[in-house]
Amino acid sequence: MAMKGKNCVAIAADRRFGVQLMTLSTDFQKIFEINPRTYIGLPGLATDVQTLSELFRFKTNLYKLREERDISPKTFSHMVSSTLYEKRFGNYFCEPVIAGIEKDGSPYICSMDLLGCINHAKDFVVSGTASSQMYGTAEGLWEPELEPEELFETIAQAMMSAVDRDASSGWGVIVHVITQDGVMTKTLKARMD
Amino acid sequence: MQMYEEQKSSCPVKVPVECRFSPYTDNGGTTLAIAGDDFCVIAGDTRQSEGYSINSRYAPKVYQLSNGSVLATGGMYADGVTLVKMIEQRLEWYRHAHDKQMSSGALAQMLSTILYHKRMFPYYVWNTLGGLDEDGKGAVYSYDPVGSYEKQKWNCSGSAGHLIQPFLDNQIGFTHQKEKAPLTLERVVQVTKDAFTSATERDIYTGDNLEMFLVTQNGIEKTRVELKKD
Amino acid sequence: MADRYSFSLTTFSPSGKLVQIEHALNAVAQGVTSVGIKATNGIVIATEKKTPSFLVDDETQEKVTLISPNIGMVYSGMGPDARVLVDKARKSAQEYKQVYHEEPPTAILVKEIASVMQEFTQSGGVRPFGVSLLIAGFDETGPTLYQVDPSGAFWAWKASAIGKNMVNAKTFLEKRYNETMEIEDAVHTAILTLKEGFEGQMTESTIEIGVAQIVEVTSQEGVKSKVGRFKKLNAPEIKDYLANIA
Repeated sequence: MAMKGKNCVAIAADRRFGVQLMTLSTDFQKIFEINPRTYIGLPGLATDVQTLSELFRFKTNLYKLREERDISPKTFSHMVSSTLYEKRFGNYFCEPVIAGIEKDGSPYICSMDLLGCINHAKDFVVSGTASSQMYGTAEGLWEPELEPEELFETIAQAMMSAVDRDASSGWGVIVHVITQDGVMTKTLKARMD
Repeated sequence: MQMYEEQKSSCPVKVPVECRFSPYTDNGGTTLAIAGDDFCVIAGDTRQSEGYSINSRYAPKVYQLSNGSVLATGGMYADGVTLVKMIEQRLEWYRHAHDKQMSSGALAQMLSTILYHKRMFPYYVWNTLGGLDEDGKGAVYSYDPVGSYEKQKWNCSGSAGHLIQPFLDNQIGFTHQKEKAPLTLERVVQVTKDAFTSATERDIYTGDNLEMFLVTQNGIEKTRVELKKD
Repeated sequence: MADRYSFSLTTFSPSGKLVQIEHALNAVAQGVTSVGIKATNGIVIATEKKTPSFLVDDETQEKVTLISPNIGMVYSGMGPDARVLVDKARKSAQEYKQVYHEEPPTAILVKEIASVMQEFTQSGGVRPFGVSLLIAGFDETGPTLYQVDPSGAFWAWKASAIGKNMVNAKTFLEKRYNETMEIEDAVHTAILTLKEGFEGQMTESTIEIGVAQIVEVTSQEGVKSKVGRFKKLNAPEIKDYLANIA
């Protein structure tokens, strides 16, 4: 899940990795730093999550060498989109969420389906097994122009309440709040079951 | 009903055409109930839909029963209507037999029995029963279609149940929060309105109107709030 | 038997030079002169338009071309070779846009074209391009002017000239150029530079001018923003400039 705030964005994910009802890992990384102003969340099939995160690391490193600049969140999301659509037949099972701060300081968030269709939102985007729960909590808790601290509290509450009602999510939540000055990362404990 | 129908065709081959009848339909909608210390709020939207069509913008599925309880029915509208009719009949029998109103606890148990009696051809309804118990405390009971039920403090079921339930956990149950604000009737009404306006944004089966029943010692107050109609 | 193994025409001479590239540069040096000038707020590129006979319809000839909305180029040397490069450059720009939904930065496009030109100095069965290019672009880093040679070598310039009269033209530019010049001034200077050693009458139909500058655009949603754009000057615009010079 990613949310917009006032000159800031937040991205959060749970930490469970499991196959249906069996939990295999409780510190699984789903959010990856692309550069200090761009983060991507990759919920979906674990092997594709790791393959894609490595692929985007490769692509953005190459981009940085070639263009001598960090990729912007918007440009990056189009890169992700075309990477996914390249595998239109025989796709990756992953629906990414991207959050970042643009060069001009404006917040940027988007989500994508597994083929790369981008969804831009002015408020928040969600993806993964608890998406309907997150829609409910985020729709109820979010308000415009939140400061970084308020945004953190909002996304943390929305996320924790949502994953508590989804059997396939949980084991704590990791939250990144991205501002122009830097990134604040917090790992939260919730119901560990 | 004819099981096989001959298809009209220039080709001299007879093709069997299968006909089926489904006794169930989902008419969508969301219901919600929250119990307070001395009150209970039961609410539901008034949209009735079938697939992508809206049958009615005002088809209430929350019913005030004659014993002072309120029953919210979600799922198949026709089954809900039938069920309420039957409950009302049973409430009347109870009054004749015992010369008093059925308590909400007794009604809760009876509803479970009614539903389980149709275990093999259930009413396609997700019920939520709300009212005050014998001590005047708010009580909420929620059911599955075959009568499995549980007494709860708050519940939301129906098409936007997945969306609203975690929101209620947070706003009524105060999960993950240190401070727990007192649960006043005003606050519960406000949370209910927020929950439904939020759900209307994301669930196509929820909308049009919100009908709320506020049950207190002084009686039942019914209010209506407009929701988005798109 | 000996020539059986000489796949490539570009083989080092004992002195360390690639003779074919030298020849290609000679082809450029015979080509019509083009100039490019960087101004504070944009880039101007210009060239002479020569026709072998006045019977040729010169309106069909186009030497200053658009690569992407914010990048344009002009060549000196062999027209057909340049057209191949224009096609490749346009395709490259579209491919970049397809991936990033963003116009390619000038530097990236120049590198792309330069690498194509380099490939043609080393591959078998091909010859180097007989053109030098001046590429003008305006991206988020600002205005930039690049020159690319047949070898694939490229530089960013404040002002440059290529083709027949490049030596004189560069000397002229060195005298006339200053850092505070704006687009209007740069267009004048470009015309004056071309006038040095211009053969025949200079009219709006015998020169071509292209300008990369910042413009305000309105998106479909009605949001206004300032972006880099490359545009060719039309005949009446060029006529106005020429009138001011005389």
